Amino acid sequence: MNKLDLNKPTPNPVFTYFSHILQCDVIGPHDEVAGRVYDIIVQVGQVYPRSSALIIRKGFINHKYAVIPWNEVVEIGAAFIRIKTESAGIKFLEKHEYKEEFSLRKDVLDQQVVDTYNHKVIRVNDIHFLMVDNCLTVAHVDISLRGLIRRMGWEKVVDMAVGMIDKKAAYLQNEHLITWKYIQPLSINPVSMTIRINVPQNQLNNIPAPDLGEILQDLNPQDQVALFKSLDLNARARVFMNLDYKTQELLIDQLGIAEIATILNVVPSDEATDFLEKLPKEMVQEFLTIMESKQAKKLSELMGYSSDSAGGLMTTEYLWAKKGTPVSAVLRTIKEKNFKVEPVQFVYIIDEEGHLTAAVNFKRLMLAEPDEPVEKIAFPKTYYVKLDSSVKEVAYLMEKYKYAAIPVVDTDTILKGIITVDDVLSQLIAIAWRRLKKIQAKSVQQKFAEPAKGAS
Amino acid sequence: MGKKLKKYWREALIFLSIMGPGIITANVDNDAGGITTYSVAGAHFGYSLIWSFVPIIIALVIIQEMCSRMAVVTGKGLADLIREEFGVKITFYAMAILVFSNIFNTISEFAGIAASAELFGLSKYILVPLAALGIWLLIVKGTYKSVEKIFLVACVFYLAYIFSGFLSRPNWNHVVNSSLHPAISFNKAYVFMLIGVIGTTIAPWMQFYQQASVVEKGIKISDYKYCKLDVIIGSFVVNIIALFIVITCANTLFAQGVRIETAKDAALALKPLAGERCFQLFAFGLLNASIFSACILPLSTAYSVCEGMGWEVGVNRRFREAPQFYSLYTGIIALGAAVILLPRVPLIKIMLVSQVTNGLLLPFVLIFMLLLVNNKRLMGEHTNSKIYNIFAITTVVVMILLSIILLFGSFQS
Repeated sequence: MNKLDLNKPTPNPVFTYFSHILQCDVIGPHDEVAGRVYDIIVQVGQVYPRSSALIIRKGFINHKYAVIPWNEVVEIGAAFIRIKTESAGIKFLEKHEYKEEFSLRKDVLDQQVVDTYNHKVIRVNDIHFLMVDNCLTVAHVDISLRGLIRRMGWEKVVDMAVGMIDKKAAYLQNEHLITWKYIQPLSINPVSMTIRINVPQNQLNNIPAPDLGEILQDLNPQDQVALFKSLDLNARARVFMNLDYKTQELLIDQLGIAEIATILNVVPSDEATDFLEKLPKEMVQEFLTIMESKQAKKLSELMGYSSDSAGGLMTTEYLWAKKGTPVSAVLRTIKEKNFKVEPVQFVYIIDEEGHLTAAVNFKRLMLAEPDEPVEKIAFPKTYYVKLDSSVKEVAYLMEKYKYAAIPVVDTDTILKGIITVDDVLSQLIAIAWRRLKKIQAKSVQQKFAEPAKGAS
Repeated sequence: MGKKLKKYWREALIFLSIMGPGIITANVDNDAGGITTYSVAGAHFGYSLIWSFVPIIIALVIIQEMCSRMAVVTGKGLADLIREEFGVKITFYAMAILVFSNIFNTISEFAGIAASAELFGLSKYILVPLAALGIWLLIVKGTYKSVEKIFLVACVFYLAYIFSGFLSRPNWNHVVNSSLHPAISFNKAYVFMLIGVIGTTIAPWMQFYQQASVVEKGIKISDYKYCKLDVIIGSFVVNIIALFIVITCANTLFAQGVRIETAKDAALALKPLAGERCFQLFAFGLLNASIFSACILPLSTAYSVCEGMGWEVGVNRRFREAPQFYSLYTGIIALGAAVILLPRVPLIKIMLVSQVTNGLLLPFVLIFMLLLVNNKRLMGEHTNSKIYNIFAITTVVVMILLSIILLFGSFQS
C-alpha cells in the first residue's frame, strides 16, 4: 500500500518497536531495576526525530515518574535498557511535565495523525524505530492489525497460529508501515494553538485542497481549528471552500469573521458568493463591511443574481483588453496577471463603454504578430449569454461551440463576467441527479403497477 | 415584550435543532429487556418500587450529562478517549466485552420483536427477518440526519404506554399514596427487583452511544446548555414511560395476583383484565421499543469498536472503505435475528447473560468516565466542579456496588 524509502524491516536487531521498548525494565549499572519505560521524548526539527529523553515510571497505583536524558542510556537490550545513573540517584516525581517537548506516548501512540501520502487520518498502533548507537530514531508508524496484536502482547501466538494455516499469509508478509516522512502528528502547541509542524517534513501543503478538506472533516473541532490555523493563507482559502457548511461555521465561530473575510479576499468571486449565500443575512452584512471594499462591492452585486441564472454562476475575474490594444501588450498582461482566476484561455475585447465586441484565445494571441491590434485576430463571431439566461441555455451554447468559458453580458451587451465549464458542470450534475432519481422512482412505480409486463 | 418573545422563539428553535441524542439514548433504554423488567416489577411488587425512579432520574442525568459534556468539549467519542488516554490493551478488552454484551442485548431485542409478532398473531419467521433487513437497510442507506429523525418519531410511539396506563384506569390517589410512602422491604426478591430496575436503566452501551451521537451532531460549546436540557428531558421521559408501564401492570396484574416472566406474558394477561385496546397498545409499545433498540445497539457497538481500534467508521462510507464497521454491524444484526429463529431458545438465560455482561462492563466504563471528565488537559475549564464530583462519585460507587451484587446474585440463581 505504501512505497517505503527505508529498507523493509527484517528480523534484524537494528529495528525495534515502541511496544517492545515499553516492556523494557530500566536498569542501573549494577543490574538494579530503576523502573519501567513509560515514554520517550524525541527531538523534532529533523525528518526522522531522534530520542532525547527517557521517561521511566515506578510504583503500582501511586505512579512516580523520572526523566532520564538520553545520553545516560548505555545499552538497549532485548528486555532492558541500561542507564549510567545508579537508581538510587534518580529523582522520582509525582508528575512529569513537558510542555515544549514532543512525547511519543502523548502525541503519537494511539493518537490520530494525518497520513500525508495517502491523504487520510489514521490511528497509530505502534511506532517502528531504527536503532543506531543506542539511540532510537523514529522510522515508521504501524497502523496494521498486526501492530494492534503486538500491542496486546499476542504477536507470537497469533503469528504461530496464522503460520500453521498458511506460511505465506499476507498477514505475516506485509508490514503496514508508513514512513515517518509522511506522518503529520496533530499535537497542538498550547501557546499558538496551532499544529506543531516540523518544517523539513511539512507535507501538508502537498495534499490537494479537496483531500485536505476531507481530512479536516475527519478530525475533532480543536484539531480542525489548529490544523486550519497552521496553513498559509492560500492553502486556507482553497481548503475552506472545500469544507462542508458545518465545519465552515465552526471555523467562523472560532477564528472570527475578520479572519475568514481575509480568505474571501483571495478566492474567486463565484466561490465566495456560493459561500456567502449559505450564511444568514446579518452575517453576510458583517462580512461585506469587513472585506476589501472592491471585492465586497463585486460580491454584493453577484449575490443579487439568482443562483441558477448566468448572473449567479459567473465569476467577475477574467482577462480583458480594450479594443485597439496591440497583441504584445495583451500577452504581457496575461503574464503579469497573477492567476487567482481559474485558468481560462480567453481574452475578451471590449470597447470604451465596456461593450463586449470580440473574444480571442491564447493560441491565436501567441501565433499573431506582436504589434497587430488585438481585435484583428479575434474570432469572427462572439457568442455570449445574458445575465438572466438559464443554466441549460449556458450549457447548450458551451457544448455547441465547445467553449471552456462563455462571457455574460447585460441588456446593453456590457461585459459583466464569465462562466467557466466547471461551474456549469456542477449545476448540471445536480439537475441530472434529481432527474435520475425521478426516473428511478417512476420505473419502480411502473414495475409495481404492471408486474406481468416485464421489460419493455 | 415582543423582543422577549422573539428571543424565546429563537432559543426554542436552537433547542429543537440540538435535541436528539439525549432523548433517543434515554428512550432506547426502555427496550425489550427494560419493558420486561418494569412489567415484572409492577406485576410482582405493585407500586412499592415507584420511588426508585427519583434516584434513577438523578443518576441518569449525572452520567449522561458527563458524556455529552465530554463529547462537546473534546469532539471525540468515549472509545476514542479511552484509547488515547488508557492505551490499546484496556480499550481492546473493554470493546470485546461491549461486543459480547451487545450481541446478547440485541438477541433480547429480537426476542422482543418475535414476542410482539406472536402477540399480533403474526409468524415470527416472517417478522424477525423482515425487521432485521429493515434495520440493516436503514443504516446502510440512511444518513445521520434522516436516521435521527426516524428515531425521534419512534420516541413518540412510546406514548402508547402512557395511553395503556390510562386505559387500565388506575386509582391515582392510591398511586400517589403508595409512591410517597413506599413499602420498602429488604427481602431478597425485592432487592433484586430494585437492582434490576436500576441496572436496566443505566447500561454501558448508553454512554458510548450518547457521546458518539453528540460528537456526530457537532454541537458547539456555546450551545451546550441545550444539550444538557436534551439529556434532562430524555431522562425524565424515559422514567415517566417506565412509570406508566409499572402502573399498568401494578394496577391490573398485581391487583389480581398474576405472576409473569416476560413482557409477552404481561401483555397477554392484560387482555382480559384491561381490555383489548390496552393490550394492543402495550404490544405495540413492545414492538416499537424492540425494533428501535435493535437499530441502535448494533450501530452503537460497531461505532464504538471502530473508533477505539482506529478503523474507518462509516454511515457515510461504502463497504470497501469501512469493512470492519459494516461486518460488525451486519454480523450483530444477523446473529441477533438468527438466534431467535432457532427452535427452543433459552430466552431467560440470554437475558441473564446480557445483564451480567452489562454489569461487568459498567464499573469500568464509569470509572474511565470519571477519570476522563476530570482530566484538565482534555476538558480544560469544563471538568466537574467539586460538588458535582461528589454527586458523580456517589452515583458511580452506588452503581458499581449494585452491579457487583447483581453479578453475584445472577451466578447464585
